[in-house]
Amino acid sequence: MRMVRTGGLRSIYAVYSGRVRMGAVELLRNNKAFSMIISSRFFSHAMIFLIMAVILLGSVPPVIAGQGGTDFLSDEFYTDQPGSVETADPLESLNRVVFTFNDRMYTWVMEPVARGYSHVLPSDIRSCFSTFFRNLLEPVRFINTLLQGRFTDSGTVLVRFLINSTCGIYGFADVAAREFNFPPVEATLGQTLATWGVGDGCYLVVPLYGSSTLRDFAGVVVDGFGMTPYYYPWTNDLGVMAGVYLGKETNRLSLHLGEYEELKKLSFDPYVALRDAYFQYRRKHFTSPGTMWE
Amino acid sequence: MYRTRFIAVIFLSLLYLGLSSAGVAGAATQTRPDPMEQLRPFVNEIVGILTDKSLAGKANCRKRRQRVMAAAHERFDFKEMSKRVLGREWRKLSPQQKEHFVTLFTKLLEHAYIGKIEDYSKQTVEFKRQRIRGNRAEVQTVLKEKNVAIPVSYIMILENGNQWMVYDIIVEGVSLVRNYMEQFREIVRQGGYSELIKLLENKIETLEHDLSKTCPIDLPRKAVPQRRSVR
Repeated sequence: MRMVRTGGLRSIYAVYSGRVRMGAVELLRNNKAFSMIISSRFFSHAMIFLIMAVILLGSVPPVIAGQGGTDFLSDEFYTDQPGSVETADPLESLNRVVFTFNDRMYTWVMEPVARGYSHVLPSDIRSCFSTFFRNLLEPVRFINTLLQGRFTDSGTVLVRFLINSTCGIYGFADVAAREFNFPPVEATLGQTLATWGVGDGCYLVVPLYGSSTLRDFAGVVVDGFGMTPYYYPWTNDLGVMAGVYLGKETNRLSLHLGEYEELKKLSFDPYVALRDAYFQYRRKHFTSPGTMWE
Repeated sequence: MYRTRFIAVIFLSLLYLGLSSAGVAGAATQTRPDPMEQLRPFVNEIVGILTDKSLAGKANCRKRRQRVMAAAHERFDFKEMSKRVLGREWRKLSPQQKEHFVTLFTKLLEHAYIGKIEDYSKQTVEFKRQRIRGNRAEVQTVLKEKNVAIPVSYIMILENGNQWMVYDIIVEGVSLVRNYMEQFREIVRQGGYSELIKLLENKIETLEHDLSKTCPIDLPRKAVPQRRSVR
C-alpha cells in the first residue's frame, strides 16, 4: 500500500512540481508578498467585511454558552428541550428555499461533475490534491490558533506546514500526520470570533456553500480571501480564483460521493438532519484534540 | 547468610508486587468489566461476517444482514436508544406502543448503520481510547479503508453491572440518536406521535423496497409483515 502511495506521489511530483516551484520561486523573488496583501483589493474588502460583521454581530449574545461542554456521556445531551439555543434558526423559511436550491444544484450539476471527475482520476491522487489544498490554508489556521490563544496548536500547525511543504512535496502528502504524529488541527476565524464572545447570530444556509451561521460564514469569507493573493500570486482575476475554488470543491466532493444521498435517504427531514449534523460536527471540531479527551 | 536474605527480600518484594497488582486487577474486573474489551469481540464479529467468503456475494445478502443484526442485538440496546430518541414522548407511551416503536426504530437503524457498514468490506477497525464516567462509557474507534479514516465512537451504558451496551453511535462527531431526535421532535410537535409512526412505517417500506432491488428476499424474511400486524 505504501508502495502505491509513493508511486502516486512521484507521478504527481513529476506533473506538478514545475508549476508549483515556479509559483514559489516567483514569490521569493518578488518578496512583495506582504505589500501585496496589504494593498490588494481583496484584503481591504475582507477587512471591511470583517469589521462590519463584528459590528453587526457584536450585539448578538453568544448563543452557545457552553461550547464544547456538551458531552455524549451526560444525559443533557439527549434532552429534548424545544427550541434549544443551539439551533436558533429564525430564518428557517428562507433557509429552506436556499436548501432546496442547493439540493437541486447538487443533484443536477455538482454531483455529476464530481462523479465524472472521480472516474478520470484515481482516489489516491484526488486525496493528494485535497491534502495540498488543506496545506495551503495552514497559515490561516496558524493565525487563528494564535488569536484564540491555543499556542500548542499553533506550534502543531506551524510544524505541520513546514514538514508537509518540504517532506510532503509542496503539501501533496500529509507526512506530518503519518510519520511525525502531528494530527491536523482545525482553526477558523469563526472559532476566533466565538472565542472573543461574538455570537453565532443564526443558522444560515448559503447558496452553493451550504450550512453555516452568520458568524461562521463571515469568518469563512475572510479566511478564504484573506490569504488568497499571497497564495495565488499568478492571479488577480476573480474568474481564475473562482475556478480554483470550484476545482477544490469538486475534488472534495469527489471524495465524498454518495454521502449526501445516503443522508437524504435515511432522514425524515433532510433540512433538520443536516442542520443538526452541522452543529454537532462543528462542536466536535471546535474542541481541540487535546481537550476532547480530558 | 547474606545471600539467603537477599533472595528472601527479592522473593518477598516480588510476592508483594504480584499480590497487589493481582488484587487491583481482580478488584477492577470484579466491580466493572472493561467497555472496550466487551466491544472488541462484537466489532470483530461484525467485520468477520462482512469479510466471510462463504457469506459474500449478492445471493447471501439477506443472510449476511441477518447475521449482522443477530450480533448487533447482543451488544446494542435498541430500547435504550428508542427511549433517548423519543425524549419526553417516550414516557407517554403504553408498553405495547413502546415495543412497537422499538421494533420500528430497530428496523430503521438496521438500514442506517448496518446498511452503511456493508459497503466497507475491506475495512479495518482500530480501537483508540475509552472514557468511563459512572455507568457510561465512550469507546473511540477509527474505521479505516484505503485512504479513508472515519472516527466512530460507541456510547455505552453498564447494564446489570456486567454488560456494557451500546446506545448511541457517533460518526465523525455526529450522534445518530441525537440527529434522529431532532427530526422526530419536529414531527411529533407538528403532527403528533401517530404521524411519526406513519412516517417511520413509510420510510422503512421505502428502504425495504430499495433494498429488495439489490438484495433479493429469501423466505425467512417474510416474518416482517406479521410483526407489523401485531399492533
